[in-house]
Amino acid sequence: MTKLKAAPRLDPHPTQLIDRSASIEFAFGGRPVQAFEGDTVASALYAAGVRTFSRSFKYHRPRGLLCVAGRCPNCLVNVDGVPNVRSCTEAARPGMNVTSQNAWPSLDRDILSVLDRFGPLMPVGFYYKTFHRPKLFWRLAQPIIRRVAGLGKIDVDSAHPAGYAHQNLHTDVAVVGGGATGISAALSANLGAAVTLIDDSPVLGGHLRFDTTSHSVVPSVDPSPGFEVAAELVRQVRSSAGITVLSNSVAFGLYEDNLLGVLTTDRLVKRRAGRIVMATGSIEQPLVFDGNDRPGVMLSSGAQRLVRLYGVKPGETAVVATATNEGYAAALDLHNAGVRVAALVDTRPEPAWGALPDAVRAAEIPTLVSHAVTLAEGRAEVKAAVVQKLEGGVPIGERQRLACDIICMSGNLEPADALVRQSGGLDIPKNVYAAGSVAGAGNLAQAVDQGRQAGTLAAGSSSELPLAGSSPPERAAPFLSGKKSFVCFCEDISTADIDQAIDEGFDDIQTLKRYSTVTMGPCQGKMCHAAVAAISARATGKSLSEVGSTTSRPPLQPVPMSALAGRVHLPIKRTPMDRKHIDLGAKMVDLGPWRRPFSYGSPQDESISVRERVGIIDVSTLGKLDVRGPDSPALLDKVYTHNFSGLRNGRIRYGVLCADNGTIMDDGTVTRLADDRYFITTTSGNVESIEEWFKWWMAGTDIEAYVTNVTSGFAAINVAGPKARETLSKLTDIDLSTDGFRYMRSKEGVVAGVPSVLLRIGFVGETGWEVHFPGEFGEHMWDALMDAGRDFGIAPFGLEAQRILRLEKGHIIVGQDTDIVSTPLDSDMEWVVRFEKEDFIGRGGLVAARDRGLTNKLVGFRMRDGTVPDDGDPIVDRGQPIGKVTSARLSPTIGKGFGLAWVPVELAEEGRNISIRIAGADVPATVSLTPVYDSEGKRLKE
Amino acid sequence: MLQLFRKERMWEKRPLKDRYDVVIIGAGVHGLSTAYYLGKLGVTNVAVLDKGYIGGGGSARTTAIIRANYLTSQGVLFFRESLKLYEGLAKELDFNIMFSQLGRLDLGHTDSSIFGLRQRAEINQLLGVDSRMVGPKEIKELVPAIDLREGKTLPIIGALHHPPGGVVRHDAVVWGYGRGAARQGAEIHPFTEVTAITQENGRVTGVETPDGRIEADTVLSATAGWSSTIAKMLDLELPIVTHPLQAFVTEPLKPFMRTSISSANLHVYVYQTDRGEVVVGGGVDPYPTYSQRSTLQTLESLAGHALEMFPFLGRAKVLRQWAGLCDMTPDYAPVMGRVDGLDGFLITAGWGTWGFKAAPVAGRSIAELIATGKTPDLIEPFGLDRFRKGKLVNERAAAPAAAIH
Repeated sequence: MTKLKAAPRLDPHPTQLIDRSASIEFAFGGRPVQAFEGDTVASALYAAGVRTFSRSFKYHRPRGLLCVAGRCPNCLVNVDGVPNVRSCTEAARPGMNVTSQNAWPSLDRDILSVLDRFGPLMPVGFYYKTFHRPKLFWRLAQPIIRRVAGLGKIDVDSAHPAGYAHQNLHTDVAVVGGGATGISAALSANLGAAVTLIDDSPVLGGHLRFDTTSHSVVPSVDPSPGFEVAAELVRQVRSSAGITVLSNSVAFGLYEDNLLGVLTTDRLVKRRAGRIVMATGSIEQPLVFDGNDRPGVMLSSGAQRLVRLYGVKPGETAVVATATNEGYAAALDLHNAGVRVAALVDTRPEPAWGALPDAVRAAEIPTLVSHAVTLAEGRAEVKAAVVQKLEGGVPIGERQRLACDIICMSGNLEPADALVRQSGGLDIPKNVYAAGSVAGAGNLAQAVDQGRQAGTLAAGSSSELPLAGSSPPERAAPFLSGKKSFVCFCEDISTADIDQAIDEGFDDIQTLKRYSTVTMGPCQGKMCHAAVAAISARATGKSLSEVGSTTSRPPLQPVPMSALAGRVHLPIKRTPMDRKHIDLGAKMVDLGPWRRPFSYGSPQDESISVRERVGIIDVSTLGKLDVRGPDSPALLDKVYTHNFSGLRNGRIRYGVLCADNGTIMDDGTVTRLADDRYFITTTSGNVESIEEWFKWWMAGTDIEAYVTNVTSGFAAINVAGPKARETLSKLTDIDLSTDGFRYMRSKEGVVAGVPSVLLRIGFVGETGWEVHFPGEFGEHMWDALMDAGRDFGIAPFGLEAQRILRLEKGHIIVGQDTDIVSTPLDSDMEWVVRFEKEDFIGRGGLVAARDRGLTNKLVGFRMRDGTVPDDGDPIVDRGQPIGKVTSARLSPTIGKGFGLAWVPVELAEEGRNISIRIAGADVPATVSLTPVYDSEGKRLKE
Repeated sequence: MLQLFRKERMWEKRPLKDRYDVVIIGAGVHGLSTAYYLGKLGVTNVAVLDKGYIGGGGSARTTAIIRANYLTSQGVLFFRESLKLYEGLAKELDFNIMFSQLGRLDLGHTDSSIFGLRQRAEINQLLGVDSRMVGPKEIKELVPAIDLREGKTLPIIGALHHPPGGVVRHDAVVWGYGRGAARQGAEIHPFTEVTAITQENGRVTGVETPDGRIEADTVLSATAGWSSTIAKMLDLELPIVTHPLQAFVTEPLKPFMRTSISSANLHVYVYQTDRGEVVVGGGVDPYPTYSQRSTLQTLESLAGHALEMFPFLGRAKVLRQWAGLCDMTPDYAPVMGRVDGLDGFLITAGWGTWGFKAAPVAGRSIAELIATGKTPDLIEPFGLDRFRKGKLVNERAAAPAAAIH
């Protein structure tokens, strides 16, 4: 395609950022665009004659550059597949692929711009009042509305852009805003503190960087142009060792306790600051008149940026509309750049005075006082400005048409206080100081002075003097009512819309925001927040402070999700024997973060080998807590329902942890290793929360106990089966005889040369030992046991076999067989609750539960044949659910389906018939209160 | 269509009277829906008071997911009725609440989460709620953009699909009920804070506000996250702990997904609105507080977990984050009805993360209770006395990702 032809740039000037010797090229909609190093995408496109940058959200109106400062929604484009990029702050890079958004087939000819013609048919609240009758209508309309919604297109096949690192840093003083105020604050604060200066531009200096008017900042020094003052300030910052400068960095969030979220080009910095100086400046507001969104209507500071930073001539003939002296500076800049200024239109009733107006008069720029632009003529480009005289803020009299191709507008300067307001209220939070134009400073000298004061205060220790409260800016800018007088550029909301919404009863600013969606678009209210408050005040007769403002929420500027996510780290946890399982061809299963062997082939065969010979299972995932200290018995008595202070050394007891209300949180074994030392196991998934739970109950008490999570330090293998003793005997000198090492006892000793703790327990219902040992010997221990058991037919077993075996014993798994309302009483474990203990966590709830009797109970059941329900199948009575199966399997012992289920207490009796809904059919089963295997519990004690 | 161009007021400002039949504390979706259904039952001398603006509490912060795929039969029956009411609500209120029934997927990444989802599917089907288990292939058909790669932590192995679930324009529900209630005669008084509740001989007699004392036969607290603070005015301790829940929304993107998706394992849920924004929310934060200030830490984890499912969203930009308050009960089920020993006082609370979806049926049921004096069967299981009687309702599946404490 043909190259976009670039107009020649203005003469070089020290304020410009472009390097004319470094030419680069990128593509816009497939057409090559010439740019210079230092250009932004937008400045290059504008120089190449592009005027329409985007199509608006609702009406698809053409939109051009407005703020040229990364604040408004008008210049959003797609860059290399990334949607909604602000082209006015995105540096031009060679080879980048820039495309437009929200327009089809092209930016210039967007079919959906027909919506603009229907504008009068789509007043505020349009969707609330349409398409809902009949019901079918919404079903038809909604997909269409959905299809035309959205702005940028995202490529769903693109990868997660990696690379954003997260940094957690601290600084004594953070200064937000690198303009003259911020720099002054940083320099002053640096006299006593480490300072971080955060600025969102590539170069420090704020708007002073491109200010050519003279300033006398220091009384004794000769006045010099703003950009030279800025350069001097920047030089001082650069030579201050104690100031860290973060350029191109947006402080997007102010969180609790002075935590600043800062987005740099490649990092998310979480900077906790002792004190913060907000030197965030002010935001020039648009004026509100018909057609104020046409391409060619821009903020006067936007036009100045084009001229001063990029040497781009914004147009041939300009009308400058202003409500403050800012417009005078813009008119002069334009005039000096060779733009004919057809008129400077000042809405204020009296002629302005001062150096700038004098200069404007000297330049013979025609000035109309007490006038306003009431209409921008044109469509994709401005053709003319219609100007009318104002009386009492209302346009009257003759409409004067001034031909022009740009209209520069300058409303009030609103304090850029959104970051401060994120703290919730209108008050400045503790240890935060505001300085400069955000705090109402009227000129550079004042701003610099406030900056110095704020810096000194922030670096000091005591004085909490609030800095100058922000003085409300003068409200000279009139808001003209019209259906195309836009208040909100993001959402296409006009003054007429706002007025109507207020008329309909949405008369406080919060409901007004939600009904009209004003302030809710990508600009975050930066362009409209003040206007909507003023219009609301006018319509309701309230003062601005009564109207208040909407809540300011982070982030201040949109932040990519990849930056927030950082380098996502969800590691898979593998046990120290993981490689052995893989070598054995185990089928692995994910259990939370853990990956464990589900089976090594046949769970049924594995079960049989445990019952008949010997099996080993890797139980390293068990949560393991080491509890020490003189008060550890007291701690355990407090958190467990059972008694552990009375447990003798070397003994093990099953323990249940309950929540305050008596419901089961977790279970496991508690082994007393010494008077002041216990070794505790928890379910695999709960160990972190149980550790927290212990510490929660110690906090603020004088219990002296130390809880250490040793889960990943220890590996564990359960050796179980009739030949377990013989197998293990080959590897240790510990007396493993029935009387020498009895059930529910523990011993410490050496196994296969590794110091270990042996727990004689019987989760699977056989003679067995849980061997806990340092994790680094995992593979060694596994191999040693497999070798030792070879003659006895040892086989490893997986999770599924363990589930079958324990189910045959009726041993529960917390979380599988119990849920958040289960107590030890209805889970058939009343024996773990020691009501005689004076107190323990959950006692109150359990006493109440005992007193009122049970409604449901966990029971065993058996099928008539090999039918096996799925875990979770409902127990039904006449089609209604009355209970549920929690675990069900085929029993290798009885060859029938069996399991555990919750049933109403009246059915919890031996032999009662129940119906289980299996795949849509009701299948009979029988309640059984005895375990399928070894109901007398002899095997595990042998 | 004509009403489009009529400037009709939604509700009028009226002077506060010193007596009403019913005073409702809280002008959120629950308070206003109760007022609306009271009007339908002929009870119109009603004032709805709020310390802030209309619909400004939980109703302003909800992510407005509507579904009925709960776990307990009590919960399923209750939310099934609510879903049905939502389906007819735009017509009922003559206000488009933009209920987009684009379906809902609850993902399972582990054996145990699949177990939980299966239980819900079974109960749902038994009780006539459209929901069933689907595998990765069907998940991909429903949400082509989702990342189903295997071999990463928490792979997606199945999901509970609930086709009638969806998303509603939450403010519209609030305003629709408010307008409907006001048209029937109820008064809405925003910025009218209740500072005390008056009682005589064990009977609640009215409320006090900075604008004066108001008498009422019945006082209903419909204040969700602030319920404990209202109860405290009556020295009543509720089994409720208020936790914040956070969410964020991105800049609008062209539509790439329809179904809303939740993952309990990843503590995150994601959907795209009709406007194109992507909404991401999570489980409640693990600490109790009444602060509604959002945190960077939660924003990071929500974003990270959403990218596990949709890696390309790394390029999407977060526009806004916010926090709301959730009044959590120990059994994740609501508390509705009378309070023993306090005649004339009713409560609708414990709305946790499931309040908005219940508003129509909850409001209608409470209204019926107020108007007839009889507790409707649907809300009978949710009485406050269940905590004394030990009849808890295990609705843990209610929260997409509940905190352990």
